[in-house]
Amino acid sequence: MSTRENIMRHLNIVGQLQPALHQPQHAPTGDLIDNAHFRAYTRTSHDVGGEADVPITWEEKEEEIWEHNTFVTCEVLAWRGVWNAEERRRRQNVDVGQTIYLGMPYYGRWLMTIALILVDKQHVKLTELIDKIEEVKQRAKKQDGQFYDAKGHDL
Amino acid sequence: MSKSHHVEKATGVGDPQCFKGEAPAAKFKVGDKVRIRNLPDIFYTRSQMYLREAEATVVKLVYESPPAEDEAWDNTDSPEWFYSLLFKQTDLWPDYPKKFETDTLETELSERWLEGI
Repeated sequence: MSTRENIMRHLNIVGQLQPALHQPQHAPTGDLIDNAHFRAYTRTSHDVGGEADVPITWEEKEEEIWEHNTFVTCEVLAWRGVWNAEERRRRQNVDVGQTIYLGMPYYGRWLMTIALILVDKQHVKLTELIDKIEEVKQRAKKQDGQFYDAKGHDL
Repeated sequence: MSKSHHVEKATGVGDPQCFKGEAPAAKFKVGDKVRIRNLPDIFYTRSQMYLREAEATVVKLVYESPPAEDEAWDNTDSPEWFYSLLFKQTDLWPDYPKKFETDTLETELSERWLEGI
């Protein structure tokens, strides 16, 4: 097989790794993974160019306030030397893994990554973060004592 | 960890401008033909898989910067030249229609990904 054929084969394998909820994997033993699949699993999840996919609808969606705020917070963290743009991209596009990369809202990944780097670099303790999230959740309860539901659409 | 973050160096200058003059002499010049190396891509890279082992022409030396693989961990001590490269679409995609064989794709890669041909 030529080297270019190998590259095309890689792209095909990676396309087949799109999260499939009906096909769970359970840490297979080493003898069940060949070199090609090892490379497919360990490749960076943002490198999607050339993967087989179905057409998706193009939607012109304006950014919401929380998305702008998330973006600005990321820039401020860069100005303060917490990360640079490449480290941010690594964390929000690759470290999250394929399922989260494809499954979470775009700025949702940015926001999660802000929280994680603050914990990773010891600006915030995870227990402090957990307590704060819980405090805000309780404060945001509706008058009837119920939490607001995020309404996504069914798969 | 006593390393200071490179934001100090970039403030008021810009990034990648703050790395100007720090890369070793450029190995390639405009017009050179190169092949994209199929290096391991674990943990982080910006070098697209679909370019590996394909041939391209250097169209511009764009800037000096740490390679993305290093900068993603804020390792900035080894900047290298980045090149704008032109590929033929028919070289990249087996099914690309012959009718559009003059179509090209231009993208940037750092020097470590290139070998001369």
